[in-house]
Amino acid sequence: MTLIGEIIAVFLTLAIFSFLYKDNPAYRFAEYLIVGVTVGYGLPLVYKNAFQPFVLQRIFVEHKFIFLIPVFFGILFWFRFSRNYGWLSRYPIAISMGMVGAGVTMSMNSMVLVQVRQAMIPLETFNIFLIFLGTITVMFYFFFSKAHTGLYGKFSRIGIWYMMIGFGASFGYTVMARISLLIGRLQFLADTFKGWIA
Amino acid sequence: MKKNIPLAIVIILGFIFVGWTFIPAKWMQDDFYTAFLEFTKTMSPFAVFLGIYSLVSMHYNRIRRKVPKWGYSYVTLTGLVVTATLGFVYGTQAGTPVQWIFRNFMMPISATMFSLLAFYMATAAYKSFRARSIEATVLLVAAIIIMLGQVPLGMAISRSWPINILDISQWIMDVPNLASKRGILLGVGLGSVATSLKILLGIERTYLGGGD
Amino acid sequence: MNFIKNLQGLDRRYVFVFIAVAIIMPLIFPFNSLTYTTTPVENLYQLIDSYSPYVRADDLNGDGIISEEEAIAFKQDRAIFMDFFHDASTMPELFPMEVAVMRHCIYRRVPFFTFTIMEVAAPIIEEAISVVTDEIQKTGRVIERGKDYINIGYKPPALYLPILLGMGDDIAAAVETDTDGNRIENLPMYRDTAIRNYTQMNLVYETSGSDQGLSWMIYARSRFGVNVGVGLTAVMAADQYPYLQSGQCVGMTAGLKGAAEYENLVDMFAMNNLTFSKGQLDNPTEAMMANLDITSDTVPTKFKMARLGMNAQSVAHILIIVFIILGNIGYFLEKKKQNKNL
Repeated sequence: MTLIGEIIAVFLTLAIFSFLYKDNPAYRFAEYLIVGVTVGYGLPLVYKNAFQPFVLQRIFVEHKFIFLIPVFFGILFWFRFSRNYGWLSRYPIAISMGMVGAGVTMSMNSMVLVQVRQAMIPLETFNIFLIFLGTITVMFYFFFSKAHTGLYGKFSRIGIWYMMIGFGASFGYTVMARISLLIGRLQFLADTFKGWIA
Repeated sequence: MKKNIPLAIVIILGFIFVGWTFIPAKWMQDDFYTAFLEFTKTMSPFAVFLGIYSLVSMHYNRIRRKVPKWGYSYVTLTGLVVTATLGFVYGTQAGTPVQWIFRNFMMPISATMFSLLAFYMATAAYKSFRARSIEATVLLVAAIIIMLGQVPLGMAISRSWPINILDISQWIMDVPNLASKRGILLGVGLGSVATSLKILLGIERTYLGGGD
Repeated sequence: MNFIKNLQGLDRRYVFVFIAVAIIMPLIFPFNSLTYTTTPVENLYQLIDSYSPYVRADDLNGDGIISEEEAIAFKQDRAIFMDFFHDASTMPELFPMEVAVMRHCIYRRVPFFTFTIMEVAAPIIEEAISVVTDEIQKTGRVIERGKDYINIGYKPPALYLPILLGMGDDIAAAVETDTDGNRIENLPMYRDTAIRNYTQMNLVYETSGSDQGLSWMIYARSRFGVNVGVGLTAVMAADQYPYLQSGQCVGMTAGLKGAAEYENLVDMFAMNNLTFSKGQLDNPTEAMMANLDITSDTVPTKFKMARLGMNAQSVAHILIIVFIILGNIGYFLEKKKQNKNL
């Protein structure tokens, strides 16, 4: 079974790689297969990990019939594709959106206040000064209500330089990421072939 | 009924949750939150089935209308039915047929698909990554330093240099990169708070879908 | 001149072949290369290690080291929580770090929870657990599901925030069951220990190819003060630095490099039953060095995947840099020629 599995995995890997030469039926077969298998995997998982404990258990085993209310709202999700009753699905969506309220204060805290506080620490070292300068000038650059000319324009230009270094860093890391993914697949092929030969 | 009540639910629930982050009282933290948690738990699985229905109906229609390449839709549907059946019968834990399918079907296909990007990125680096202006040159130099600084070979090459490439690349990450990302982040942070506020106040309603 | 011109028009399929060869060769012929560790990875390692009974238990017989018996006898009240947020496509980067962190936890007897809201990540959790436990069971130690770790497994995405916030109170009430359908309160890791919420589960380690870790920082950290560590694909790494500096994120393993660093730390310290110290990184002992030799069979292949990969990464990076330089030389020569013709 392990060997059959390996042969399938190698075939599918090569089928996808064949796209580099040109689009072909083997590639398309794999492409369509992955969609079905992925969704098919989800179905029993949702049933077992959520539907059973959160719905069936409560109503049929514990007889807590109050939970028929959320079940009712849950079923309303299914009207999403109905032309006439599509609006019913807005109710459960609205309930799920409620937590956005907590997000307002908490994102303000984590993404803005804490970061602003970190940008305001005493400029004790040259590096902290450079970070301070960069943060301010990048923000200048994104402030479009004033023309980027004169001294202001010079400042926002420093911001561009900072951003270019930042994007360069991101690009360097992206190269690393993409190569890593390829390494993973080639490592698999190399190890499998090595195993077969041995 | 069609739009206003859902909107009211979002606004009322939203403001309760704003209060929830501030009010330490038991009725808020325990009673309300527990009730909400239990409610959402029971409601949650239903939404997931929606995606499955959408996929099945799409491929069913493709086969029915015999659109170009409709034969492949059988592959999708077969994959779905077989995997789901095996999952229901044998479970999804390690050692089950479904885990075998994951290892030999899902993993090779999706990981290899993404790995193709490496080839295209290498070609792009070769064909279009040019030092056309000073800014582009700055980007290019920073990228090269980071790429060298990340790998053992870069370290080995620069060992005899006065400053180690690793230190330079670490400095780039810790200072100019940090500053630029923070500048952008503050903008994004304010933007996301503004979006949440717009939803909370009922100004932004696209999540409810179109129609009246 | 003609050579450069030819290079400019090179068919991209040749570039493909170059890249493939540059990666395959180092994989077939592995060699040892230096894996130096960076602060974000060391911080993560140290934090997880600080929850270990090998660090926290009382030295009952007073011999200066915590023995296995003493560690087992210790009443554990710390755990880490691992959230998997990625599908198989980013596995080459993220899987080695997940395996390394789990291996660290198992060897140092730090209990852990695994959790995901992505159906496609559920098998990845099972895969990681079996890779780590199979190897350790070979040494005779039995790893019990529910006692050494709890796999909560998949929960629907709509429950992400409710569970995330609910765990501030009680994890058993927030998630109810593990992936096998057992109630959390009946599992020994919960029942027989003091592990209840973020006070004990004071590290969330989130692996993803997106900025999903931010949710933990925004909600769980700002409300309950929980430590958040992230394992990211390299694409997302640069964006994480503002959070690392502010302390909202305590540690990070970024890409294959981060995974290689963590693998190295586990082999140097955890496998030698040692507690992390910076000084030892510069002056490793012979036992440590033996564990770091990736060309020998001392370390099973699955625990050095990232380090083996980093060799290939080195060669590929150099090749891409050469590509960029060659491309630019061609570009400038062409520009010069055009200027002359004008």
